[in-house]
Amino acid sequence: MLEPALRLVGIEKHYAATVAVAGIDLEVNEGEFVTLLGPSGCGKTTTLGLIAGFFPPTAGAIYLEGEPVGDLPSFRRDIGVVFQDYALFPHLSAADNVAFGLRMRNLPQAEIARRVADALELVHLAGLGERRPLQLSGGQRQRVALARALVINPTVLLLDEPLSNLDQKLRDEMRIEIAGLQRRLGITTVFVTHDQGEALVMSDRIAVMNAGRIEQIGEPAEIYEHPATRFVAEFIGRMNFFSGQVTTAREVRTARGLVIAAPVPLGIASGAEVHVAVRPERSRLCRDKPDAGLALKGTVRQVLYLGSTREFHLDLEGGERGLVEMPNDGSAVTFDAGAGVWLAASFDHCLVLPARS
Amino acid sequence: MRSTILSARWRANSGPWALLCSVVAFVYLFSLGPILITAAVSFNETNRSSFPPHGFSFRWWERALAPEWINPLLFSLKLGSLTALFSTLLALPLAFALFRYRFRGRDALVALTLGPLMLPTLVTGVGLLQLFQYVGLREYIGFTALLVGHVVICMPFAVRTVGVSLHTLPPNVELAAGSLGATRWRTLRYIVFPLIKSGVVAGAVFAFIHSFTDVNLSIFLARPGEIPITVKILGFLEFGFAPTLAAVSVITLLLPLILVAIVERVSGLGDFIYGDRDRA
Repeated sequence: MLEPALRLVGIEKHYAATVAVAGIDLEVNEGEFVTLLGPSGCGKTTTLGLIAGFFPPTAGAIYLEGEPVGDLPSFRRDIGVVFQDYALFPHLSAADNVAFGLRMRNLPQAEIARRVADALELVHLAGLGERRPLQLSGGQRQRVALARALVINPTVLLLDEPLSNLDQKLRDEMRIEIAGLQRRLGITTVFVTHDQGEALVMSDRIAVMNAGRIEQIGEPAEIYEHPATRFVAEFIGRMNFFSGQVTTAREVRTARGLVIAAPVPLGIASGAEVHVAVRPERSRLCRDKPDAGLALKGTVRQVLYLGSTREFHLDLEGGERGLVEMPNDGSAVTFDAGAGVWLAASFDHCLVLPARS
Repeated sequence: MRSTILSARWRANSGPWALLCSVVAFVYLFSLGPILITAAVSFNETNRSSFPPHGFSFRWWERALAPEWINPLLFSLKLGSLTALFSTLLALPLAFALFRYRFRGRDALVALTLGPLMLPTLVTGVGLLQLFQYVGLREYIGFTALLVGHVVICMPFAVRTVGVSLHTLPPNVELAAGSLGATRWRTLRYIVFPLIKSGVVAGAVFAFIHSFTDVNLSIFLARPGEIPITVKILGFLEFGFAPTLAAVSVITLLLPLILVAIVERVSGLGDFIYGDRDRA
């Protein structure tokens, strides 16, 4: 079998009093775009630094194309890095920034000039090569940083929240552009972000990280549709949670005695504490009690008009809160604030997640 | 419309503005005044340090340019230049160690390095004189002892300015250089050094000026024939102030100013503190 471009085995990084990375196994295949997604402090940027070789892991091994690189300093790893603050060299022009990696490889002048021109062209900066970083806009700086990392033809490209310093419009543009570029060049990429939207749009696979570990790894749709833990379910998209206890393979009973019909996975025994999770856009509002699936009684607290959708915030009996998102398909709104309603969801749309182990 | 607003603002601010103007005038009076008077006195025709000068002549300037004065002046220039060189060479690794790394004994090293900045140089001078005498280095009193002493009291300035520019280095540029294939040395050579250059130059200039103007320490470590200009001036004062001294003082004053002006032109002390903190 082909060696993965990048393999992390049991990687850990401890600092004096804290554990930044608590054991990560990850394989990234040739040409794959894998995102490390998680809240700040989850260890994702540290993981990136370990891959780049900026500091050594406390434990574990890193392989690039099958070769262990744990002992190699970063300058011998052939890894392209785009930093959150771009880390451009302020005293060098854009073209010299891009040329830096090639000069360090002692390539002939002519080849450097040609490759720098190509790289600047690739990121649509042809003609701006003579500018200093300070004379460039945020978006342009980011492109220089990208060109600088790509021009050395790295084994792996690492992107550390490269979009977080851009305004919303530019960010939307760049996420499509970077993802497109990555596919076109077929370059193995590890992307770090805390933005679930970026992760979903750009990635082949997403590794959701929490407290120094990977909670779940999978394709975007898999992560969204079948989150393995409450953390993942909460971190990606929005979710209604109702806690209860498993009674049968098809039933969960809440503390107040309400019965929710939901598919309990095989691994969860009856009597176990669980969360029943259901996405707001997979929930419905009903005037009368629905026949099957999830049905919880409550009142509409607030209706938010968002243009393409409407959000109904509910106070449910028992004090829990519920959220229903309905597409604005042109039909009249039938539920106003204060109305008594049922929050309903079909059996198949309910997920049963173990209460935190 | 606009002018009324402006004049209203002017009136509202004129109180503080007047205060600022008078403070500035006061400072200029006492910092520039003596210099101008000294310069004027040096052109006296008679051997009297009178102001306003009586008549006009260059005779005191002729005397000031005689070997008696030019030699100590050249001596001070040489001493200052070498002090600047050695202070900067020592300050570079020291600043890296002190401002970059945490290690055992760091606080002690900080105290040792920056300590002379807070000690009276007079005391340092007396101490060094005793050291050279008691450890059998008596014959080095003179230029060598002066150089050692000046490096001790001038290096803290260089360590500070280099340290500040290291501090203002944009984060991650060194990591970026490493990821692009630059060894530690080439990162220093091509990235770090160019970015801290103005701090290094500023440190060298400060060291030179501090050395060139020092009298407290030099007075103990000089010996006949190896006398800095400041000590020479002080010695001459025993015989009273003379227009010659005024001319020498003006030369001694102008030399560092010219140096700073040249350095400012060539390498720019103005951007000593690197400015790109904007990464929003």
